[in-house]
Amino acid sequence: MGIERPDTASLVRQRLLANADDVDALFVLAALRAQEGYLEEGLTILDRVLRIDPRYPGAWRFKAKLHRMQGETAAEQSARRRAEDTER
Amino acid sequence: MTMPTEIMKVKICMAGEGAVGKTSLIRRYVLDQYDDRYIATLGTKITKKSVTVANPGGPDPLQADVILWDIMGTSTVRELLKEAYYHGAQGILAVADLTRRDTLIALDEWARSIRSVAGDIPTYGVVNKADLQKERALPPAEIESFFRQRRWPWSYASAKTGAGVPETFVGIVKHVLSSRS
Repeated sequence: MGIERPDTASLVRQRLLANADDVDALFVLAALRAQEGYLEEGLTILDRVLRIDPRYPGAWRFKAKLHRMQGETAAEQSARRRAEDTER
Repeated sequence: MTMPTEIMKVKICMAGEGAVGKTSLIRRYVLDQYDDRYIATLGTKITKKSVTVANPGGPDPLQADVILWDIMGTSTVRELLKEAYYHGAQGILAVADLTRRDTLIALDEWARSIRSVAGDIPTYGVVNKADLQKERALPPAEIESFFRQRRWPWSYASAKTGAGVPETFVGIVKHVLSSRS
Protein backbone atom coordinates (compact mmCIF):
# COMPACT_ATOMS: atom_id res chain seq x y z
CA MET A 1 0.00 0.00 0.00
CA GLY A 2 1.36 3.37 -0.95
CA ILE A 3 0.16 5.50 1.92
CA GLU A 4 2.58 8.33 2.63
CA ARG A 5 3.02 8.82 6.37
CA PRO A 6 5.01 11.88 7.40
CA ASP A 7 6.88 11.68 10.69
CA THR A 8 5.12 13.16 13.70
CA ALA A 9 7.42 16.19 14.10
CA SER A 10 6.95 17.18 10.44
CA LEU A 11 3.21 16.78 10.73
CA VAL A 12 3.15 18.99 13.83
CA ARG A 13 5.19 21.67 12.04
CA GLN A 14 2.88 21.58 9.01
CA ARG A 15 -0.24 21.91 11.11
CA LEU A 16 1.15 24.74 13.22
CA LEU A 17 2.23 26.63 10.13
CA ALA A 18 -1.33 26.40 8.87
CA ASN A 19 -2.84 27.28 12.26
CA ALA A 20 -0.70 28.34 15.24
CA ASP A 21 -3.57 27.40 17.59
CA ASP A 22 -4.05 23.87 16.25
CA VAL A 23 -4.71 22.21 19.57
CA ASP A 24 -3.89 18.67 18.42
CA ALA A 25 -0.55 19.79 17.04
CA LEU A 26 0.21 21.78 20.19
CA PHE A 27 -0.61 18.78 22.39
CA VAL A 28 1.75 16.54 20.43
CA LEU A 29 4.40 19.27 20.38
CA ALA A 30 4.20 19.40 24.19
CA ALA A 31 4.78 15.63 24.27
CA LEU A 32 7.67 15.82 21.79
CA ARG A 33 9.41 18.54 23.80
CA ALA A 34 8.90 16.61 27.06
CA GLN A 35 10.24 13.46 25.43
CA GLU A 36 13.36 15.38 24.44
CA GLY A 37 13.84 16.32 28.10
CA TYR A 38 12.44 19.86 27.94
CA LEU A 39 9.74 19.33 30.57
CA GLU A 40 9.29 23.00 31.42
CA GLU A 41 8.74 23.86 27.76
CA GLY A 42 6.38 20.90 27.40
CA LEU A 43 4.35 22.20 30.35
CA THR A 44 4.23 25.72 28.91
CA ILE A 45 2.86 24.38 25.62
CA LEU A 46 0.42 22.15 27.48
CA ASP A 47 -0.88 25.13 29.44
CA ARG A 48 -1.56 26.81 26.09
CA VAL A 49 -3.50 23.73 24.98
CA LEU A 50 -5.59 23.91 28.14
CA ARG A 51 -6.28 27.62 27.68
CA ILE A 52 -7.61 26.90 24.17
CA ASP A 53 -9.50 23.76 25.18
CA PRO A 54 -9.75 23.07 28.93
CA ARG A 55 -11.32 19.67 28.17
CA TYR A 56 -8.75 18.48 25.63
CA PRO A 57 -8.74 14.67 25.99
CA GLY A 58 -5.95 13.47 28.26
CA ALA A 59 -4.34 16.90 28.68
CA TRP A 60 -4.87 17.24 32.44
CA ARG A 61 -3.58 13.73 33.03
CA PHE A 62 -0.54 14.44 30.90
CA LYS A 63 0.03 17.67 32.83
CA ALA A 64 -0.11 15.67 36.08
CA LYS A 65 2.52 13.30 34.71
CA LEU A 66 4.87 16.10 33.67
CA HIS A 67 4.57 17.72 37.11
CA ARG A 68 5.32 14.34 38.69
CA MET A 69 8.41 14.02 36.49
CA GLN A 70 9.46 17.47 37.74
CA GLY A 71 8.90 16.41 41.37
CA GLU A 72 6.09 18.96 41.80
CA THR A 73 3.67 17.00 43.97
CA ALA A 74 1.11 19.73 44.71
CA ALA A 75 0.83 20.70 41.04
CA GLU A 76 0.58 17.03 40.10
CA GLN A 77 -2.31 16.47 42.52
CA SER A 78 -4.08 19.61 41.36
CA ALA A 79 -3.84 18.53 37.71
CA ARG A 80 -5.05 15.05 38.61
CA ARG A 81 -8.13 16.49 40.34
CA ARG A 82 -8.88 18.55 37.23
CA ALA A 83 -8.47 15.39 35.13
CA GLU A 84 -11.02 13.56 37.27
CA ASP A 85 -13.48 16.48 37.07
CA THR A 86 -13.07 16.65 33.29
CA GLU A 87 -13.53 12.92 32.79
CA ARG A 88 -16.68 12.74 34.94
CA MET B 1 -37.53 -3.74 21.97
CA THR B 2 -38.38 -2.15 25.34
CA MET B 3 -36.71 1.09 26.39
CA PRO B 4 -33.37 0.59 28.15
CA THR B 5 -33.60 1.16 31.89
CA GLU B 6 -29.91 1.26 32.56
CA ILE B 7 -27.38 3.59 30.97
CA MET B 8 -23.66 3.09 31.29
CA LYS B 9 -20.56 4.84 29.96
CA VAL B 10 -18.01 2.68 28.19
CA LYS B 11 -14.58 4.02 27.23
CA ILE B 12 -13.08 2.12 24.32
CA CYS B 13 -9.53 2.77 23.10
CA MET B 14 -8.85 2.22 19.42
CA ALA B 15 -5.48 0.49 19.03
CA GLY B 16 -3.43 -0.14 15.92
CA GLU B 17 -0.61 1.13 13.79
CA GLY B 18 -0.79 4.26 11.66
CA ALA B 19 -3.00 4.06 8.57
CA VAL B 20 -4.81 0.84 9.55
CA GLY B 21 -8.07 2.77 9.40
CA LYS B 22 -8.99 3.52 13.03
CA THR B 23 -10.38 6.97 12.20
CA SER B 24 -12.13 5.68 9.07
CA LEU B 25 -13.86 2.91 11.02
CA ILE B 26 -15.20 5.42 13.55
CA ARG B 27 -16.28 7.77 10.78
CA ARG B 28 -18.10 4.97 8.98
CA TYR B 29 -19.77 3.76 12.15
CA VAL B 30 -20.86 7.13 13.53
CA LEU B 31 -21.48 9.19 10.37
CA ASP B 32 -21.77 6.45 7.74
CA GLN B 33 -19.17 8.32 5.69
CA TYR B 34 -15.86 7.40 4.11
CA ASP B 35 -13.06 9.56 2.75
CA ASP B 36 -10.34 7.98 0.61
CA ARG B 37 -7.74 10.61 1.55
CA TYR B 38 -5.39 9.62 4.36
CA ILE B 39 -5.13 12.23 7.11
CA ALA B 40 -2.95 11.08 9.99
CA THR B 41 -4.51 11.60 13.42
CA LEU B 42 -2.53 13.91 15.68
CA GLY B 43 -3.16 13.62 19.40
CA THR B 44 -6.51 12.06 20.13
CA LYS B 45 -10.12 12.50 19.08
CA ILE B 46 -13.12 11.48 21.13
CA THR B 47 -16.35 10.37 19.52
CA LYS B 48 -19.48 9.42 21.41
CA LYS B 49 -22.23 7.10 20.29
CA SER B 50 -25.11 5.52 22.15
CA VAL B 51 -25.89 1.88 21.46
CA THR B 52 -28.65 -0.25 22.85
CA VAL B 53 -27.66 -3.85 23.43
CA ALA B 54 -29.00 -6.84 25.26
CA ASN B 55 -28.08 -6.70 28.93
CA PRO B 56 -26.06 -9.78 29.87
CA GLY B 57 -27.00 -9.17 33.52
CA GLY B 58 -30.75 -8.74 33.20
CA PRO B 59 -33.89 -8.96 31.08
CA ASP B 60 -34.09 -5.31 29.95
CA PRO B 61 -31.89 -3.89 27.21
CA LEU B 62 -29.06 -1.64 28.22
CA GLN B 63 -27.97 1.67 26.75
CA ALA B 64 -24.22 2.03 26.48
CA ASP B 65 -22.88 5.54 25.89
CA VAL B 66 -19.72 4.53 24.09
CA ILE B 67 -16.79 6.93 24.15
CA LEU B 68 -14.35 6.02 21.39
CA TRP B 69 -10.78 7.26 21.89
CA ASP B 70 -9.06 7.50 18.54
CA ILE B 71 -5.37 7.68 19.33
CA MET B 72 -2.63 8.59 16.89
CA GLY B 73 -1.03 5.49 15.45
CA THR B 74 2.56 6.68 15.41
CA SER B 75 4.76 5.41 18.20
CA THR B 76 6.88 8.55 18.77
CA VAL B 77 5.33 9.72 22.04
CA ARG B 78 2.75 7.02 22.65
CA GLU B 79 4.50 5.57 25.72
CA LEU B 80 4.87 9.01 27.31
CA LEU B 81 1.18 9.68 26.78
CA LYS B 82 -0.16 6.30 27.80
CA GLU B 83 -1.64 7.40 31.17
CA ALA B 84 -3.30 10.36 29.44
CA TYR B 85 -4.87 8.15 26.81
CA TYR B 86 -5.63 4.87 28.52
CA HIS B 87 -6.69 5.80 32.05
CA GLY B 88 -10.17 4.44 32.70
CA ALA B 89 -10.37 2.46 29.46
CA GLN B 90 -12.79 -0.47 29.66
CA GLY B 91 -12.15 -2.08 26.30
CA ILE B 92 -9.69 -2.20 23.42
CA LEU B 93 -10.67 -2.32 19.77
CA ALA B 94 -7.48 -3.65 18.18
CA VAL B 95 -7.32 -2.81 14.46
CA ALA B 96 -5.12 -4.58 11.90
CA ASP B 97 -4.85 -3.95 8.16
CA LEU B 98 -5.44 -6.95 5.90
CA THR B 99 -2.77 -5.69 3.50
CA ARG B 100 0.05 -5.26 6.08
CA ARG B 101 1.16 -8.26 8.12
CA ASP B 102 3.15 -6.17 10.62
CA THR B 103 -0.04 -4.43 11.75
CA LEU B 104 -1.39 -7.68 13.20
CA ILE B 105 1.83 -8.46 15.07
CA ALA B 106 1.93 -4.90 16.46
CA LEU B 107 -1.38 -5.39 18.28
CA ASP B 108 0.37 -7.26 21.11
CA GLU B 109 2.43 -4.20 21.96
CA TRP B 110 -0.63 -1.96 21.81
CA ALA B 111 -2.58 -4.26 24.12
CA ARG B 112 0.37 -4.54 26.51
CA SER B 113 0.71 -0.77 26.72
CA ILE B 114 -3.00 -0.14 27.28
CA ARG B 115 -3.28 -2.92 29.85
CA SER B 116 -0.26 -1.57 31.74
CA VAL B 117 -2.48 1.44 32.55
CA ALA B 118 -6.07 0.14 32.42
CA GLY B 119 -5.58 -3.43 33.66
CA ASP B 120 -6.61 -6.66 31.96
CA ILE B 121 -9.52 -5.20 29.98
CA PRO B 122 -11.43 -6.99 27.20
CA THR B 123 -9.99 -6.77 23.71
CA TYR B 124 -11.77 -7.26 20.39
CA GLY B 125 -9.84 -7.58 17.14
CA VAL B 126 -10.84 -6.27 13.75
CA VAL B 127 -9.10 -6.78 10.42
CA ASN B 128 -9.91 -3.70 8.37
CA LYS B 129 -9.68 -3.18 4.59
CA ALA B 130 -11.46 -6.47 3.97
CA ASP B 131 -12.42 -5.10 0.54
CA LEU B 132 -8.76 -5.31 -0.57
CA GLN B 133 -8.68 -9.09 -1.05
CA LYS B 134 -6.23 -8.86 -3.97
CA GLU B 135 -3.69 -7.12 -1.73
CA ARG B 136 -4.21 -9.47 1.21
CA ALA B 137 -0.97 -10.05 3.15
CA LEU B 138 -2.53 -12.07 5.95
CA PRO B 139 -3.79 -15.60 5.27
CA PRO B 140 -7.11 -16.40 7.00
CA ALA B 141 -5.50 -19.16 9.06
CA GLU B 142 -2.87 -16.78 10.46
CA ILE B 143 -5.51 -14.27 11.51
CA GLU B 144 -7.68 -16.96 13.07
CA SER B 145 -4.72 -18.41 14.95
CA PHE B 146 -3.54 -15.00 16.18
CA PHE B 147 -6.87 -14.05 17.72
CA ARG B 148 -7.69 -17.54 18.99
CA GLN B 149 -4.39 -17.77 20.89
CA ARG B 150 -5.18 -14.50 22.65
CA ARG B 151 -8.87 -15.34 23.13
CA TRP B 152 -9.92 -12.09 21.50
CA PRO B 153 -13.20 -12.20 19.59
CA TRP B 154 -12.67 -10.68 16.16
CA SER B 155 -14.20 -9.84 12.80
CA TYR B 156 -13.38 -8.52 9.36
CA ALA B 157 -14.53 -5.04 8.37
CA SER B 158 -14.20 -2.50 5.63
CA ALA B 159 -14.52 1.17 6.49
CA LYS B 160 -14.67 1.79 2.75
CA THR B 161 -17.72 -0.36 2.00
CA GLY B 162 -19.15 -0.39 5.52
CA ALA B 163 -19.19 -4.19 5.64
CA GLY B 164 -18.79 -5.55 9.15
CA VAL B 165 -18.41 -2.11 10.76
CA PRO B 166 -21.53 -1.95 12.99
CA GLU B 167 -21.01 -5.59 14.00
CA THR B 168 -17.46 -4.77 15.07
CA PHE B 169 -18.43 -1.88 17.35
CA VAL B 170 -21.40 -3.72 18.80
CA GLY B 171 -19.04 -6.69 19.23
CA ILE B 172 -16.59 -4.78 21.45
CA VAL B 173 -19.43 -3.26 23.51
CA LYS B 174 -21.00 -6.68 24.09
CA HIS B 175 -17.59 -8.13 24.95
CA VAL B 176 -17.00 -5.41 27.56
CA LEU B 177 -20.47 -5.82 29.06
CA SER B 178 -20.30 -9.61 29.19
CA SER B 179 -16.90 -9.43 30.89
CA ARG B 180 -18.50 -7.34 33.63
CA SER B 181 -21.42 -9.59 34.40
